Amino acid sequence: MLNGTDEKSLVERCRKGEDEAWRELVDAFGQKIFSVAYHFTLKREDAEELAQEIFLRIFENLYRYDGSFPLVAWIVSLSRNLCIDRYRRRKREKSFHFVSDEAVLPMLTSQDDPAANALKKERTKILFSALAEIPEDLAEILVLRDLDGLAYEEIGQALALPDGTVKSRLFRARTEVAKKIRERQETRSGGTFASLAAVAGAFV
Amino acid sequence: MTCNELERLSVAGASEPELAAHRSVCSSCEALGAELERVSTFVSSLRSPAARPALLESLLSIPRKTVSCEGAAGLIAASLENDLPPADQARLGFHLSRCEGCSEAAGTLLGMRDLARPEPAPWLAGRIAANRPKRRDRRGWRFVLSPPAAIGLAYAAAVVVMLAGFNPADLARKAGVGRLEESARESVQVAGGSLADRLGAFEENALRKLAAWRGRAAGYGRAALSTAIALVMKTESRNPPSRPRSGEDKGSSQRNEIEVLTWRA
Repeated sequence: MLNGTDEKSLVERCRKGEDEAWRELVDAFGQKIFSVAYHFTLKREDAEELAQEIFLRIFENLYRYDGSFPLVAWIVSLSRNLCIDRYRRRKREKSFHFVSDEAVLPMLTSQDDPAANALKKERTKILFSALAEIPEDLAEILVLRDLDGLAYEEIGQALALPDGTVKSRLFRARTEVAKKIRERQETRSGGTFASLAAVAGAFV
Repeated sequence: MTCNELERLSVAGASEPELAAHRSVCSSCEALGAELERVSTFVSSLRSPAARPALLESLLSIPRKTVSCEGAAGLIAASLENDLPPADQARLGFHLSRCEGCSEAAGTLLGMRDLARPEPAPWLAGRIAANRPKRRDRRGWRFVLSPPAAIGLAYAAAVVVMLAGFNPADLARKAGVGRLEESARESVQVAGGSLADRLGAFEENALRKLAAWRGRAAGYGRAALSTAIALVMKTESRNPPSRPRSGEDKGSSQRNEIEVLTWRA
């Protein structure tokens, strides 16, 4: 984990054209940025293209980084518009609310029990379908916090929001997603009490 | 009615015991909290999708593929001089295809070459030729008179003198003493005075006195004349000519009129 001074010196070295410094930066943030890109696109090819675009933008704008806040927050703020653009583009597609098995597979850990695997896959699909139904500013914060593990401060710096707003939006996002999941399960189960209890138990 | 206390406590950064205390007394918040916990636990159990090694390799090659806006300025300048290696040309081209600001800057700078040159007015060439100052001939001996040549010669002379063994400071001091002596001799000569100088001084003095006497004589003359006129005028004013009172003596009247006019004149 890089601290503030290390991050600034790393950026300085990258600006001077040191290949090794750029390799360090890619090693430190490549995986995380791909993960963020994937959660917004849910398609590997699109996520790879988006990650490349984000890193191109990082490289072209390194001279703007002044070290005033963490590098990851700066990178997320730089990539935010690109991610939102992709997200909106996907939203215009007819299949936006349909989440395929291939889309969720990269996020699943293989378990020995096939039934457990199937159940987790199903839950993940429900989760991303619910995410697609909530406002994008709420979905964005939920992805960054719960899926990509950014700290409240980093999200606040990346999105230029105060901590209180981040927490408030995150609470609303979680509540909305939980509500959507519950509604979806009620619809699928036909509203019977037994099915509802079974589905609710699936998230325990 | 929904309780918002759980949200308020979460946003305010309440601790787990505080949240649990409220949930224990509020059934709706307990249900909501449990639901949120289930979702959060599930979400955090998902793993991050792994990037393929090919992607990471591609990311590593970015510095060879493009250039920053900061570096693009230098490459644009070099490209204007046609002094850009092909690799940098490709990097610049890739960057310009993506960056609107740099592309605009490069287009503007490169477009300067294609601007049409404004045609001068037909009379301009003739006027410039007519007003062209004549060049001073610096060739030959005229060059020796120029200030740079004079300075150069002075330095050369000083160097020659020094090489010949003279001390410039000593020479300057001797020259100063010599000038003082010469000045003193001139003073003595002037003090002694020659016959010509004395005659000249006498002539000048005589002319000055003559001019003074001439001025005085002219002054006395003017004073005497004005005194005489004043006396005449005084005498005439005692007996002014009388005017005739009747028409009988017209002849004497005309004579008197003439006298009056003459007197007035």
